[in-house]
Amino acid sequence: MPMRDRSANEPAQALAGLRAVEFTAAMAGPWIGRFLAYCGAEVIRVESRSRPDVVRLYVPPRNPELGTQPQLSPWFTDWNAGKRFVSLDLRQPLAVELGKRLAARSDIVIENYSAGVMDKLGLGYPELRRVNPELIMFSSSGFGDTGPCKRFVTWGPNIEALSGMSRLSGFPSRACTLTQYAHPDAMSALHGLVAVLAALDHRRRGGGGQYINLSQYEATVAGMGHVMMEYLALGREPARLGNRSRHAAPHGCYPCRGEDRWCAISVVTDSEWQSLCGVLGRREWLDDPRFASLADRLDHAEALDAEIAECTRDRTDYELMNALQRAGVAAGVVQNAEDLARHDEHLAARGFFEQLEHLEKGRVTATGVPLGLTGTPGRSGRAGAAVGQDNDYVFGTLLGMTRREIEAAIEAGAIEPVDDL
Amino acid sequence: MPTRPSGALTGRRVLELADETGAYCGKLLADLGADVIKLEPPGGDRSRRLPPRFRAGSGREEGLSFLYLNTSKRGVTLDLQKPEGPELLARLASSADLVVETLAPGTLESLGLGYESLRRVNSRLVLTSITGFGQTGPHRDFRSSDLVASALGGAMTVTGEEEDPPVRLAGTQAYVAASTVAAASSLIALLASSQSGEGQHVDISVQEVTASVAHICGVGKWLDDGIIPRRQGTGLFASVPSGAYACQDGNVYLMVNRPLHWIALARWVHEVTGNQEILDPMFEGPSSNRQPYRELLDLFISEFTSQLSVEAAYREGQSRHIAVTPVNTAAAVAEDPHLASRGFFQEVVHPTAGRLTYPGAPYRHSETPWRIQRPAPTPGQHNQEIYRDELGISESALRALRAGGVI
Repeated sequence: MPMRDRSANEPAQALAGLRAVEFTAAMAGPWIGRFLAYCGAEVIRVESRSRPDVVRLYVPPRNPELGTQPQLSPWFTDWNAGKRFVSLDLRQPLAVELGKRLAARSDIVIENYSAGVMDKLGLGYPELRRVNPELIMFSSSGFGDTGPCKRFVTWGPNIEALSGMSRLSGFPSRACTLTQYAHPDAMSALHGLVAVLAALDHRRRGGGGQYINLSQYEATVAGMGHVMMEYLALGREPARLGNRSRHAAPHGCYPCRGEDRWCAISVVTDSEWQSLCGVLGRREWLDDPRFASLADRLDHAEALDAEIAECTRDRTDYELMNALQRAGVAAGVVQNAEDLARHDEHLAARGFFEQLEHLEKGRVTATGVPLGLTGTPGRSGRAGAAVGQDNDYVFGTLLGMTRREIEAAIEAGAIEPVDDL
Repeated sequence: MPTRPSGALTGRRVLELADETGAYCGKLLADLGADVIKLEPPGGDRSRRLPPRFRAGSGREEGLSFLYLNTSKRGVTLDLQKPEGPELLARLASSADLVVETLAPGTLESLGLGYESLRRVNSRLVLTSITGFGQTGPHRDFRSSDLVASALGGAMTVTGEEEDPPVRLAGTQAYVAASTVAAASSLIALLASSQSGEGQHVDISVQEVTASVAHICGVGKWLDDGIIPRRQGTGLFASVPSGAYACQDGNVYLMVNRPLHWIALARWVHEVTGNQEILDPMFEGPSSNRQPYRELLDLFISEFTSQLSVEAAYREGQSRHIAVTPVNTAAAVAEDPHLASRGFFQEVVHPTAGRLTYPGAPYRHSETPWRIQRPAPTPGQHNQEIYRDELGISESALRALRAGGVI
């Protein structure tokens, strides 16, 4: 699969000159820094051996005998590409002091520890503002930093359930429906990215620093707001529509030849409907009163879906998609990971996937970063590395500590030596 | 309603030519204080009519999704097919920071309003295009929809039950995600433009955003373990145990990712059910140790949750620091005391839809509070204000534009 073009004469990056420090774990926090680093910001990730990121507790399924492999998780390496890694035992006062010195030299602090943990460590916003009034501090947790449930423990799928997303999605026959990719983790990170960038824009115009708090629950409900409105305005639970739509029919996912092969089709207008009947070889449907108008097709969606499935069953998915698209009908193969990377000629032509340099594996392939900045294209740096991988650079070069000071801090247990946990 | 917007983006001006694909992008920016002007064809955008709709008293019927996705914006009408249309848009663009559009690739160019043309009017301008497949590549002119993007982006194949067809999420999550990325990318381009004086074209593909949002199940994982992720119910493949479990009166979602959380859960299950087996040390450690016993552990946990109410499982589980949460209905979200204590939901008075409750802030800025600045505009609500008062078009010229069906 082709890579993004990397010429020697690379254009300036949009966020070059900015520095962020993150105290993060899992995805909802680290993914924000991934975008910032991609756009040229220097992102320093602080970790602690006493509380390893859960993504570092990775046992490779192909080689479980190796045990925990903190540098090999495909998620860790992706979410932390382009970052610097330092290791501090934040239970030590000297380590907290070094954390503060990093914050003092930074534009942004990102954290997604449990609510209250940063304050307890002495790294809460009031402390950090004292050393850097221009700082933008972003904090993300499941429930936000106020309210009766602020200390509750959640992961992405918990938020999917809590926000109503699981209950409102999927087929009516199911009690709830979940993604395998923790949709709210991504959406919380993306909302967080918007929040941080808006604060940077405000600061650029002389507005000063500030604190931003994100509740992953609330961010996910905000993204579901257009669905929630039905309850809020009309007092009724939004119906679970499966793949159907209230304003398009047919609108579904239809079986194709092969195991677990499907093609999604969306038809709104009558002309699209006519094209669909043509491609499926069922021109007689044009005279069927059940399917005469969009309103009729919506009323007979079940019969319509069953009839279409009969026609698609013997077609191959990509052939059907291409035939429908040539006729002006929105259609798409239900692609899996392998399809995306190997069979999607469009993503390949756009150079979507990326090769990340990995200190142990050599190179790893990662899903692209979809920012589409044509004037200041982003670049992915080195894949996520070891805890403390960049201690020397960060404490020595950046903070100006001498070799002896760094060794003394290691001796005192404040800086943890570079290793695999 | 307040007259002047406030928030982190106060002073930024955005033109929005977006249907439901990109309206959330404009909302994110407008609720943060940017002056977002929504341009619609005379009579209003088609997305205004999307169901479900709401009618207050004898008022006009309003699409609820439109009301939500267009808060805080001002609205003008403009027919880009009329000769005066593109010229007016260019005039608006000359004082804007950002244009967000969701027209089919090539449409703006055909009107003489492509990025290169807009750049000549305003070199600092950022143009953000949100389309199904982006501005380049063999599928650039393919038709799309939220469903088609969810399919081609790799989200649907890993949503739902193994024995069901792939399924998409409620609402239009592919559009929401693409709009959020578009807002972020636009802000990055604006920050860069403020430094360099050079705007740029931001090319957002809904398919790429979907692939990115779903990438936990993407190429990195597949190349690493050789397993193509598929639908597998409510449990997450890497976390054992995890999933929705039935209580006496509904479902909870429970997930264990840390060794200590497992020990806490095993003790709790033992206390409630007397189950001794679950305390076996072979189940301890990271999730990978429990992977071979997933089905057995699901049985143990289902037996346990069936003895509890949702509320009891939620409160007691959380007091033991176990990630248990209810599987909420819309009603439960709307009435959640936690959200109420944070004042999450907001009341907004719309000229025709009246007073309704809306979901509130996705994030909270200490110095520049997020707020819904105003309700979604009615079609052409701000024509006078923007065309006459701000662009300086005379009354008589406006009358001519109106008569010509331009606005």
